[in-house]
Amino acid sequence: MNNGQEELLLLLQKAQNEFGYLSEESVAELAKSLALPISDIYGVATFYSFLSTKPLGRNVIRICKSMPCYLKNCQIIIDTVEKEIGIKPGETTPDGKFSFQLTNCIGACDKAPAMMINSDVYDDLTPGKISEILKACK
Amino acid sequence: MDEIIVTINGSQLRGSEGMTILEVAQENGIDIPTLCYKTELKPIGACRICVVEVEGSRTLVGSCHTPIAQGMVIHTHSPKVLETRKTIVELLLASHPDSCIICDKGNMCELRKIAADMEVALPPFKVRKRYYPIEDTSPYIVRDLSKCILCRRCVRSCSEIAEKNVFAVAYRGFKSKVVVDFDEPIDKEVCRDCDVCTRFCPTGALSKPREVGEEKKGEALFISG
Repeated sequence: MNNGQEELLLLLQKAQNEFGYLSEESVAELAKSLALPISDIYGVATFYSFLSTKPLGRNVIRICKSMPCYLKNCQIIIDTVEKEIGIKPGETTPDGKFSFQLTNCIGACDKAPAMMINSDVYDDLTPGKISEILKACK
Repeated sequence: MDEIIVTINGSQLRGSEGMTILEVAQENGIDIPTLCYKTELKPIGACRICVVEVEGSRTLVGSCHTPIAQGMVIHTHSPKVLETRKTIVELLLASHPDSCIICDKGNMCELRKIAADMEVALPPFKVRKRYYPIEDTSPYIVRDLSKCILCRRCVRSCSEIAEKNVFAVAYRGFKSKVVVDFDEPIDKEVCRDCDVCTRFCPTGALSKPREVGEEKKGEALFISG
């Protein structure tokens, strides 16, 4: 393992925070400076659900789809969010307000089902709570 | 080098430090099936077909990448091992297209050979197949990723032998896929005159483009009148 591989994840997070997503240009630049193949970096960038290779909206909704949330019927939460903002997981609204994604465990299993909007966690979700939470987003 | 004694299927066998279970077994004529393992490549234990039982271990271990240790007691063909291997082949086949009859690799396919050796018939699992368009832009290589079983032999042979690092694995879980750059169809000039990965591919996922007149090279059919 060379140094480039060790630093890669940190640098990807940094680029994601700075530009909002990992563009082909920033990945290509990282590949050059770390002497790693582009495909390797793309592989890491697509593996983690908190990294994105597509531009994201101002508010990124991430609903947990791991087992405890699944058992607490996160599907009904997913359906409700879909209906509220009119897009499916993996998509971004045309006005750039919301991006909607499913993610792996976010560590709120004791209060499942849970979701994150940007860096805030919302737990113990019910379909009734969703519209209020989304209304508060700008 | 330190000598290590292990027990495989009841008999005591000698090996040296750093050897894997598979290597010791092969030296002593014990046949463990493998798929992602190749002597030329670094073992990664991706396919799990070579699993064996090690007493005291919570799970079965991949023999191709597990080094031997003093006093290990190993079973290579216990009922649990055989059943597990069979299930693994069934799972590999479940997401593999059922197009063997028209596949160019048909009778040279290692996956099919292993399935036949283990007497695996139609898999009992109903799994979504992953269909991808065939990539035939490159004049040097054709990729049909629907047939890919993610053994990573192409990834490893390209970086370890050809030293060109064309491939990597991207995405996650069921969506995992061997990609080139930003998941683009393969069309690279470095693939010219290389042909390393196509020879390592166990299935019909990687091949060379057909040459004109190739189909005439086969044996002539005898049609009785």
